[in-house]
Amino acid sequence: MGSEARFGLERPDWRKILQAALSRGGDFADLYFEYRVYNLVNLEEDIVKETAEAISLGLGIRVNAGEKTGFAYVNELTLDKILEAARSAAAIASGPGLAKIPRLRTVRARHDIYTAATPLHAVDLQARIALAQEAYTACRRRSPRVKKTKAIYQDNIQYVTIINSEGLVAHDARPMAKLACYAVAEKDGRRESGYSGGGGRVGLEYFRDVLTPETIGREAAEEALRLLEAAEAPAGEMPVVLAPGHSGVLVHEAVGHLLEADFNRKKTSVFWDKLGKKVGSPLLTIYDDPTIPAFRGSYNIDDEGTPASKTLLIGRGVVSGFLQDRLSARLMRLPTTGHGRRQDYACIPLPRMANTFVDQGEHLPEDIIKSVARGIYAEKFEGGQVEDSGKFTFSISSGYLIEGGRLTAPIRQATLIGTNIDILQKIEMVGNDIAFSMQTGTCSKEGQDVPVGDGCPTIKISRMTVGGKGQ
Amino acid sequence: MKANPRGSLESLAVEVVRRGRAEGADEVEVTISDGREFAVDVRLGEIENLVEAGARHLGFRVIKDQKTAYASTSDLSRETVRRLIRNAVRRAELASRDKFAGLPAPTGSGVDAAGLRLFDPELAGIDPQRKIALALETERVALRDKRITNSHGASFVSSQGTTILANSRGFLGAYDQTYCSLSIGLQAGETDQKAEDFWYSAGRYFSELESPEAVGGRAVERTVRQLNPRKIKTQTVPVIFEPDMTSWLIGFLFACVSGVAVYQKSSFLADRLGTRVGNSLVTVIDDGLMPGKLGTRPFDGEAVASRKTVVVEGGVLRRFLCNAYAARKLKLEPTGNGDGTGVSPNNLYLSPGDKTPQKIIASTKKGLILTRTIGHGLNPVTGDISRGAFGLWVEGGEVVFPVAEVTISGNLERVLQGVEELGNDLDFRNPVCGPTVKISGMTVAGE
Repeated sequence: MGSEARFGLERPDWRKILQAALSRGGDFADLYFEYRVYNLVNLEEDIVKETAEAISLGLGIRVNAGEKTGFAYVNELTLDKILEAARSAAAIASGPGLAKIPRLRTVRARHDIYTAATPLHAVDLQARIALAQEAYTACRRRSPRVKKTKAIYQDNIQYVTIINSEGLVAHDARPMAKLACYAVAEKDGRRESGYSGGGGRVGLEYFRDVLTPETIGREAAEEALRLLEAAEAPAGEMPVVLAPGHSGVLVHEAVGHLLEADFNRKKTSVFWDKLGKKVGSPLLTIYDDPTIPAFRGSYNIDDEGTPASKTLLIGRGVVSGFLQDRLSARLMRLPTTGHGRRQDYACIPLPRMANTFVDQGEHLPEDIIKSVARGIYAEKFEGGQVEDSGKFTFSISSGYLIEGGRLTAPIRQATLIGTNIDILQKIEMVGNDIAFSMQTGTCSKEGQDVPVGDGCPTIKISRMTVGGKGQ
Repeated sequence: MKANPRGSLESLAVEVVRRGRAEGADEVEVTISDGREFAVDVRLGEIENLVEAGARHLGFRVIKDQKTAYASTSDLSRETVRRLIRNAVRRAELASRDKFAGLPAPTGSGVDAAGLRLFDPELAGIDPQRKIALALETERVALRDKRITNSHGASFVSSQGTTILANSRGFLGAYDQTYCSLSIGLQAGETDQKAEDFWYSAGRYFSELESPEAVGGRAVERTVRQLNPRKIKTQTVPVIFEPDMTSWLIGFLFACVSGVAVYQKSSFLADRLGTRVGNSLVTVIDDGLMPGKLGTRPFDGEAVASRKTVVVEGGVLRRFLCNAYAARKLKLEPTGNGDGTGVSPNNLYLSPGDKTPQKIIASTKKGLILTRTIGHGLNPVTGDISRGAFGLWVEGGEVVFPVAEVTISGNLERVLQGVEELGNDLDFRNPVCGPTVKISGMTVAGE
């Protein structure tokens, strides 16, 4: 099916809908058609417990009038129902309809960042089930102490067509896959869990060439086994070394969210008056790049049809840019950056992160660890949360104690808490070993979930509050 | 936008069951929801977002030879639904035979939905302009206070919907429900020393919502009380949970008593039925039949009748909350908590005591009133708790200063063993809830 015809309407219909959306005035309107097919396979207790297929079909209609947004969505895509929705979205404005829709023209992305040579949604389901089975088996076989394993495979293909009142037409077809394995290990009555996974905007070949299901399963088991030997994390203020890769979640929480343009336009973010100002260590440079091939957070065009581009957020400690969607960019009189994203057709686009990372520095990771007399090495995380005020937490699921410049005992669950500008100033060393976290991350904002990625090199923070139970 | 008449959706549900059987499924269960939503966000006196929409959703499972497949769709066209049914029956063959699979005995027709007060006829008739005015008024009340320096905005949300459930064991049930909420988020303090918080009122009945004055006023009080926080030394002290904090504690307990987590052995309480998990003050009840409450419904997602289940009684773990699958696995009864493939709480609450929160604070020589947490840090496998925390420091029975940038840590079982006092302030605006609770000691990490 051609992408133009996928949603059963034609160009004259699109113009009619946009005209209805702007029938009460309004500066801008867009239509977001989405068709998505998901598949899921769940393995546990040594059996294929369930498979699921889900279809999401709908249209979101947005009208902007100044700072106001009117929004309506429908999942019955008949012209009558759609026009009715367009008129409810139109009601945000009150005035005569001025809409003259220019000639529609299709924009194309600068790159095609999806690397699915063998797209998974087109592969036989049996082959996809086999991926989950391989991960499951590898996890179980790692040790008799692994008492419980779960492997979940998911993929989806999302087709979007975006049309706006400035005449833009854009299409994208975004593949996504994720394979995750959970393990619970037991020893002397103590239970611990482990997790590993991977995927992205990839095809079947990824699970052969980049990250095998066997590795995913084994790593999940090994994390649970390691935690069985782990001591309580200490409590109090101390130096914290962030391991490369997974620690990107700290960058995402502590910095990324507060550089989303909506929070700065509304002056609720601590960064709103700091564009061009120094907020952190000169060692710190942060980018968000939606164009990294195959990554989970990547896309060719954002959900407003803007081609994606790499954006400098913090350059040598100075706030250099915000993550923009159309509305914030227009109101702040700054260029769009291609970060307007939505969970699905029923959601209003918001400025969001894609793949956020700290650029690498010059220190050798071993020198960074050597510089710490007593502290913790944070290796894996369960996630985190930030407030506009800059206060954030993130949960360490596993790490190590650092004693006398060496990694010693493994430690388990602890929470780090801090205030972002304070932490950014306490960055003392940045390693030359950038890595990216597991391709399984999802970010929530205002009830909308979108896939994201993050990364960082080894980083030393001179002091942070660690909340463990140990001494 | 008009919702589809219930009758045509009931026919569609019956048709899905019939067709699933005709395609070869032994059992079929289908749920259809059809709803309308209104939401307005206002900020600094202006409308920011106005959303009006109608949406439908159909989900089903088929079981063939004890093999299960699920499907769902927002496209209710006949062709799509038929294709999904065919795919599902074929996919079921790729799953493994599982002797625990299957629909439960449908007992849900025994509950009279009308008596549960799930639907507010008044709400449907409220003009959008009035809803907008309520949000604007809530923010106006809050911004009158000069200590408030910025607003995240106020929102009014309302929805109404119909849920229909049919299965191949002859069950066909339906109920209508409404929901509305009024909320606001605020900031106080200067750029680099901001405090923020929010408040909301929510329920099924428009007339039961708190007024803009109450919601706005409470949000102001909660926000400004955090201004000029101090850090504290790492120590173990009594911690008083405000009701919103007790909510997440009970939510975490739910994750540990869910029959699914239990049979998966991913709960530290898996082998603890009949044993003491808290002290005698701790009684936790799941009740799906409380009239007018948000966690109330006549039957669960598997057509099992809602009921009242005592989960923890005087500190002793009495029941796990089970869907049909977990119940068969654990040789227990389903409890009316089935929800798709999982288990969800109905109205799940920690039974209140008789003390006012003020009295509980007054009886505390030194301790932390926990007012907010951020982040994750709840592990059902171990029961461990470790979260970023904000609160108020208490000395000599009085609040002396706000505390920020600390973490609290402990273990759910030790927390439930350490319950010293229970407040009388239980409120069901969140269906998973509890009153103010004082815990004898938790680690508070600071400097």
